[in-house]
Amino acid sequence: MEPGSAKRRKIGHSRGESAVGNIDAAASSGLSRGRAFILEAEELVDQVKLDYATALQGVDSLLHKIKGSIEAIEAHDALQIADAATKLEKKHKIQIPFPEPRPSRESNYKVAFAKPCQFNVVGSYVSKTMIRAQKSHAVDMVVVIPGETLQEKDYLDLRYFYKRAYFLAVVAAALQKDLADDGELSYEYLNGNPLCPVLSLKPKVRGETKEGRLDYRVRIIPCAPDNFFPKSKLHLGATLVRKAGDDDESKVATKPTPFYNSTVVSESCFFPYLKLLRQTEKKCAAFNKACILGRVWLQQRGLGSDMADGGFGHFEWTVLLALLLQSGDNTRGHAPLSTSLSATQLFKAMVQFLAVTNLSEKPCVLGTATVETETAGPVLWDAARGLNVAFKMSNWSAGKLHQHAKWTRSLLNDSTADQFTPTFILRADLPWQNYDLIAHLKYDAKQDKTEPVDCRGRLWEYSDKAYRVLRRALQDEELGERARSIHLQLPKSSSWELAKKPSTRQNHTIEIGVLFNAANMTRAVDRGPAAGPSTEEKEECAKFQRFWGEKSELRRFEGDSIRETLIWSSTSAFDLCEEIMRYILKLHLGVGYLEDELTFYGDGFTELIPIKTTDTSVFNAARKAFSSFEKDMRNLDDMPLHVRQIAPICPELRHASVKVPFSTVAKSGPRPLECVISFEASGKWPESIVAIQRTKIAFLRIMGDLLERSKPGEVRSYVGLESSTTTNTELENLAYLDIVYESGPAFRLRIHSDLEEALLTRQSHDKTIDQHHRHQASVLLSNFRRLYYHLPLHTQSINTFATRFPALSPTIRLLKHWFSSHKLSSHFTPEFIELVALHVFLCPYPWDKPSSPSVGLLRALLFLSRWDWRSEPLIVDTNGDMPSSERSAISTRLEAWRKIDPLMNHTVLFVATAQESSGVAYTTVNGVAQPSKVVAARMTALAKTACRVIREEGVELDARRLFVPSTREYDVLLHLSPKALKGVARVYPSEDLLTKSSSGSGSSKYKNLSTTAGQDPLPLPAAPVDTLFERLEAIYGSGSAAPLVFFRGGGGGGGGGEDDKVVGAIWNPTITLSRRSFKVNLGTSYKPVVVVGAGKKRKGGDGDEDGEENEKEEQLVEVNREAILSEIARIGGDILEKVEVQMG
Amino acid sequence: MAPSPQTIGEFSVLPISIPPVPSFPRNVVHYLYVRRNAPKIPTANDSRSLFLANVPVDSTELHLRALFASLVGAGRFESASFEDERKEAEAVAAALDAAPAQAVRLLASHGKKRKREDQEAAERAEEEAAARLPSTWTRPLRKSGSTAVVLLADEKSVQQVLKAIARVHKSKKYPTWGGEGNVVAERVPQLGSIWLKAHNQLSYPDRDQLQAAVDAFSTMFARREKEAAEIAKRLRNEPDEDGFVTVTRGGRTAPATRNEAEEAKKKMIDKAEKKKQEMTDFYRFQMRERKKLEQEELVKRFEEDRVKLDAMRQKRGKFVPEA
Repeated sequence: MEPGSAKRRKIGHSRGESAVGNIDAAASSGLSRGRAFILEAEELVDQVKLDYATALQGVDSLLHKIKGSIEAIEAHDALQIADAATKLEKKHKIQIPFPEPRPSRESNYKVAFAKPCQFNVVGSYVSKTMIRAQKSHAVDMVVVIPGETLQEKDYLDLRYFYKRAYFLAVVAAALQKDLADDGELSYEYLNGNPLCPVLSLKPKVRGETKEGRLDYRVRIIPCAPDNFFPKSKLHLGATLVRKAGDDDESKVATKPTPFYNSTVVSESCFFPYLKLLRQTEKKCAAFNKACILGRVWLQQRGLGSDMADGGFGHFEWTVLLALLLQSGDNTRGHAPLSTSLSATQLFKAMVQFLAVTNLSEKPCVLGTATVETETAGPVLWDAARGLNVAFKMSNWSAGKLHQHAKWTRSLLNDSTADQFTPTFILRADLPWQNYDLIAHLKYDAKQDKTEPVDCRGRLWEYSDKAYRVLRRALQDEELGERARSIHLQLPKSSSWELAKKPSTRQNHTIEIGVLFNAANMTRAVDRGPAAGPSTEEKEECAKFQRFWGEKSELRRFEGDSIRETLIWSSTSAFDLCEEIMRYILKLHLGVGYLEDELTFYGDGFTELIPIKTTDTSVFNAARKAFSSFEKDMRNLDDMPLHVRQIAPICPELRHASVKVPFSTVAKSGPRPLECVISFEASGKWPESIVAIQRTKIAFLRIMGDLLERSKPGEVRSYVGLESSTTTNTELENLAYLDIVYESGPAFRLRIHSDLEEALLTRQSHDKTIDQHHRHQASVLLSNFRRLYYHLPLHTQSINTFATRFPALSPTIRLLKHWFSSHKLSSHFTPEFIELVALHVFLCPYPWDKPSSPSVGLLRALLFLSRWDWRSEPLIVDTNGDMPSSERSAISTRLEAWRKIDPLMNHTVLFVATAQESSGVAYTTVNGVAQPSKVVAARMTALAKTACRVIREEGVELDARRLFVPSTREYDVLLHLSPKALKGVARVYPSEDLLTKSSSGSGSSKYKNLSTTAGQDPLPLPAAPVDTLFERLEAIYGSGSAAPLVFFRGGGGGGGGGEDDKVVGAIWNPTITLSRRSFKVNLGTSYKPVVVVGAGKKRKGGDGDEDGEENEKEEQLVEVNREAILSEIARIGGDILEKVEVQMG
Repeated sequence: MAPSPQTIGEFSVLPISIPPVPSFPRNVVHYLYVRRNAPKIPTANDSRSLFLANVPVDSTELHLRALFASLVGAGRFESASFEDERKEAEAVAAALDAAPAQAVRLLASHGKKRKREDQEAAERAEEEAAARLPSTWTRPLRKSGSTAVVLLADEKSVQQVLKAIARVHKSKKYPTWGGEGNVVAERVPQLGSIWLKAHNQLSYPDRDQLQAAVDAFSTMFARREKEAAEIAKRLRNEPDEDGFVTVTRGGRTAPATRNEAEEAKKKMIDKAEKKKQEMTDFYRFQMRERKKLEQEELVKRFEEDRVKLDAMRQKRGKFVPEA
């Protein structure tokens, strides 16, 4: 049954109609998938619906009033336009909104006024598809200019528009008189089209208004009668505007004016479209809902009917959908879409259609007609009405629409992701989450000497030219596309008062957004066409030279090919793009001579760490050093067991540390890169965990000796003891081997023994031993798995992805820096942060995966701000093929955890990957949730604030603002002494630290006599600050039991960032705020509380009669904060410069 | 500062004034809670020892000695043992001792306690000390709020200390931590950067010393393992009071190696899988049942989605497009 239908589909749609064929596929597959999506979309439609009676209170009476008022206007006969205009302007003190160029004084057009032949309300008010979240709500009233005042040839040379403007002004004058009390009148352009001014009436709010009333306005739109102008003359290729005073027809007349022509056609299309939509509504029950979905989708992507918004909005969506639901001739009587589809199916089909049709590349014709393909710009031809529906669109907005449709399609095809939220809820038009580079191009109309051809305004034509130049420069397929998309944002037109002329601002800012193709943008040499002898090749070269100017030069490449070449001097993707844009815009548009004409935004983030282009090679060098170390280890003779694997486990060896590897060596003792080593299976391991740990020490020693012997003078090795934080030291790993190469790199080895795991597993399930020991064994087991299984796998997968996504590594580093700046990094494992960054790449919806670190960071912050970790697991599908059953199993596991532990004392964040589905390996350390609930909540709050700042600041966002920590929230600030820390970072083997000597030790008196001269410093077991605070946490407890929670950046948690010099601390409210009854072992320092009342009583009597009552009260104790701080100060000694207690 | 109560429960409250430190220049009072030592299992020295609760984290024996000297004069203080030290020692001893766990458990389950003669115990302690790894800290820290037991010269001293504490409350002259003028600080290893540096150094102990500890452990472990094997062997042959013979490891045949066992298990799983695959969709009823199950699953998931949707509806704002 199924193969049959697939076959039919294949035959039924030939290649030419691929778009239509895909629609069917998309629609039919919608039946089985995405049930949740359908339900959610239904709910959305219900939620955004307007209650018209309250929202647009009083609109009907207002419309009637307007109608009456217009009908009452006295008609008058034809007058010379200049005379009529002066008369009207003088009499009513209003301006006539003539389009540019205004009619000249001596033009002898005649204008007249007669009662409009028809009134009607059109648009989404009629079809009830307005939504609550719209930016502005308008009710459109169409007033048809009576045919007798127009002439057929008025379509030429703006004549119709002059008459239309006069008509509008007359109406405005009348309404100004009659409706002065009802609202404010102003002019505005219909969808930003400078040819079509309309009248807008904003009703005054009178008296009490019901809640939910919207701030709406009524637009009065004059239009031409149906089919008034001959369609045949208004085709896209016609030239209908001839320049006054310019009779040289050969030059100007050849340039067609498609925009003007389409505007004229659209003027008489209001009623045909109204009819079309009403018909479709009747035929297709889900049509309106699909339109609402479309409206939300477009709005969240910043697309709208307004020319500045791209010219593709709700109206265009509905028309396109209606046309697709109609049967046409070339579809053999079948409509591309069936009217029985549901709203979500229609929506999906529309997205599918828009994803496969790029309007600006190939004209899209609906119905039977041939369209002149010569026209530049997007074409969506409605054959029945002879209108290019997409006439307000620009090439870049067509590109944007196409791209968003493609992204949404890939989201809708991904059944594992949450489809609903990215499609409809998220705002996808914020510049920083969309574009890798944003430039502001200042446009000064005074400088622009070009003569406008069409009627879209000079700014638009200038932008179009800039777009073409940039597109050729950055999106040339022959050279290898550097940018995935280029978008221009033009300023919006605003309304103006009746008595004024439309604003004639000369200075505008064009916002250019560029989305990089990360693989190509870093290319510093462009290879153009080969310089060959054939005329074709010569032509190619000449074309290339014409475009690139003097930058193009001939070069010889390997394989003896000689090519036109461009050499760029910058290295990073951002700088390269800036260099190219500056060069090419200067060459073709003459901008950029003045510094502020062209401003670039977007590289503020990379300067923060800083990220350099050479970083990748440094990381690779670390990897190389590791592999040579691995080789050395494998080549050792006389090893008791064969090496099976040596796996790296530290961020430095997976492109993920904030600082590049080896950068800290000079200032401190070497910080070894951590690895684990595993051996072939052997029966020689003793069957006791304690004995295994001891055996490992002996093993490490042997390895160290062997290595030193095999490379005399090159390698030093140290066996180090772990400083344990859990209590039972004998069961844990006891030691590690540090290997320091003379050439710089240092490594730390820990031995993996599989028997250890088996024993721990046995112990954690052993019913015969007590609960405490079982728990301890399971904690040790999870630590073991983390260290020897998860970390090596994680390192491997991050490495793979860092190669696949060039922007991943800097994104991770920026995100770690963000955590560190906000003093959060000690609470999070580096792996968690890496997985968050990776998630943004693997699940980038509603966009595509980020191609620059700044976009990656901002989207990661967006994710963190929206992640509801209380009820949602973070699933990072590192293999790309996680079955949905496993996903639901993970969700179920989270639910189970939340049921067991609703207060989230043990499990807070739940992060699962393909290799690690337990969900807690990266968020639990030593059996304690890392981070705790409070800290996780703080992370979310900080991310939310950051996202708000990003939204509010827009393009001119200062990257540093996101990284400024706030210290106000902390109760205590511990200021660390940089000097003391520097001293701690270098320790020599022979330094005398153990015997007690007062402050001035003998070795520092004479530098040259110092015993440490010429020695190599010992490697660091851990960063000194980390060690100190680990100790403090061991003493005071960590997680929810600690009285004081420390917040610090840098250090180990974040993966080796800059050490933070101020550590914040907060008194844990659950412990410090309450008074509790005294008992031994409360776990922190307490002081007795004196209840004031009791004290008084005692003073008076000291009698026994109150004694009992007093005693009860006196049993209470509270945390002795000052004593704790004093203890910390004593432990920190000279490392703590100041312990600052903050008030409030 | 409000006057503090003299006693709390059965404890006397001993306020200690803590001298200011450069980084935290305040006079702070720490409260120590003192009572006579009365452990659950009484020992010979209980009558002349005191139980302290909430000792400062940087306490050392010297600190306590100075404290008691200031209360009742020098010469009364004998020694102090801290809770975490005691616990840690116990844990380590238990871990080292647990090495031949099998044997211990066997004996325990057999209702026999291993008798330990004094001499043997001393020997063991010595062995364990030798097998211990060197500490990586010059000065241990106490867990916050932990306890200690102080051994004084005689019973009278205990009385005197408690009286002195009562006097302290009257005179409002609290004893100073670390003695007058912080004399103790000169004699204990310094904390702060020196302490951290020393930790760095001590983390890399001398190799021979380390090797010696490991060797000592190995010898001990080997011996105990042998003992355990012997016990097991004996138990194998000896019926207990009820006439049962305990089944223990290490019978006549050597156990299979882990690898072999794993392979066998894998083979078995493979076989079962293959069989299962061959038998699915063989009969029509199987197919029907499968389809029925699938349908049920679909309905279930639909219901789940509905529940999820309801949950989302509860959270406001989920369905409102962001502005």
